[in-house]
Amino acid sequence: MVLEEFSLTGKVALIGGLGQSWQKEMAGYLAEAGAQVALFGKDEEQMSAGVKKAQEMGREAMAIAADVTSYRQVERMVQTVLKKWQRIDILVNSFNLPFAKPLVETGSGEWQKAMSANSIPVFICTRAVGKYMLERKEGKVINIVSGLAERGLPNGTAYCASKGAVVQFTRALALEWARHNVRVNAIALGWMADTVETSKKEWQDSISHLTPLKRLGQPDDLACALVYLASDASSFVTGSTFYLTGGLMAHG
Amino acid sequence: MLEKLRLDGRVAVVTGGGGGLGTAMCLALAKAGADIVVTDFRVEDGEKTAAKVVAAGRKAVLFPADVTKSDQVNDMITKAINQWGKVDILVNCAGIVRDEVPKPFWEISDFEWHRGIDTNLTGAFHCSRAVAKHMADRQCGKIINIASGYGMRGRRGSFMYNVAKAGVILFTMSLALTLAQYGVKVNAIAPGLFQTWGPKERYDASASFIPMGRVGQPAEIGALAVYLASDASDYATGEVFSIDGGALFSGYAPIDYIPVIPLNE
Repeated sequence: MVLEEFSLTGKVALIGGLGQSWQKEMAGYLAEAGAQVALFGKDEEQMSAGVKKAQEMGREAMAIAADVTSYRQVERMVQTVLKKWQRIDILVNSFNLPFAKPLVETGSGEWQKAMSANSIPVFICTRAVGKYMLERKEGKVINIVSGLAERGLPNGTAYCASKGAVVQFTRALALEWARHNVRVNAIALGWMADTVETSKKEWQDSISHLTPLKRLGQPDDLACALVYLASDASSFVTGSTFYLTGGLMAHG
Repeated sequence: MLEKLRLDGRVAVVTGGGGGLGTAMCLALAKAGADIVVTDFRVEDGEKTAAKVVAAGRKAVLFPADVTKSDQVNDMITKAINQWGKVDILVNCAGIVRDEVPKPFWEISDFEWHRGIDTNLTGAFHCSRAVAKHMADRQCGKIINIASGYGMRGRRGSFMYNVAKAGVILFTMSLALTLAQYGVKVNAIAPGLFQTWGPKERYDASASFIPMGRVGQPAEIGALAVYLASDASDYATGEVFSIDGGALFSGYAPIDYIPVIPLNE
């Protein structure tokens, strides 16, 4: 059965999160497909909810507090996971710091913070986990980004540039690690419900109206794409970005 | 969540169903639960695929058609709808590369140009047009167009194929926007190089230029087709999904150019 290719039974997944409410949901999806899951980051409420969701699926799970901008802390986290489960098959990087401001009013500190919060953890976590994946000659890295990696937005210069950086990170690293059987892909989300970007009713209405499928995205919308990219089902896919935006990327 | 990938009770029409990727997608969709209408003008190849689907435990029927002929396509889609009462999924996979032979550009004939464009692009238009009203009336449906990485990049000596596949990608986008209001989703798969016919050795030279160092096996496209045919991808429309071993973003530098350049302040 083709669907067996989506199975993650016996695999270990790490999910790094910052500021995205679907970190816990992703833990549930990967666990449902069979993986043991470790969530890391600093949002303890989010992480413990993720652990609970994974355990409800009958899998082992744990949360590890770590500063994702510190290589040392992330490496220690990796060691903790290896000690417990002896392997890491999947790394999901889901770090997001929303920011929108006219460019001329944007301070250098703000620019640096937006750029670094959205890209440095991807570098640090991928480097720490990837080193181990390269040794094993097996692994999957999945970066969660935004359609704004490829599209513009007024007041979004810093944010768009920071997300674009992660898509280019994905493409370049995919080539670097392709012959080592470590695949690097991205999922780009559109406008999601329950985010600061869609927190106002009038924004929700106008964004939904603009979106060809006439609704905001939900965590469920990324579930099977995430499992696909995390599993052997996608064995020939690397350097790809899967845009799940309700059709937004088709017009413009 | 994974049960969303199931296609039980769905009916899929796969054009070019007798070819390498077409056969693989027919089998994958069938294994996920769909019944398959195989269509191909190569009757023997289509029959082989249909037999494989039946052996995998699903229903299959072959309705031969040349996708470049709209009367044949309309007839095929009418038969397909009548067969099991509906069509949920259309996979536009029929295509040819046969005319992309190394010869001077100025020797490409009118016939070759039109055959390349007609098969690779107009065929997808014919089939989508024939089934779209049916899908719109039912307020559901999935159309999957097989594009190519070459629809986004050029290739020396290759014209009809690249131009048509680029057309397929834009056709995917506009059709997705047009059919969104009817609940019909339209997406494209952009495959890289797959071992669709002949021995592995035939692909050795090309494989060395693919970042993963190998060509794809047809079966590897199956899961992506199932994902795009199923409810699991319901928030995706007008998108292009590449599956190419990393090829799309390579080619800017030689494959063995791996520089180390220190960062100087």
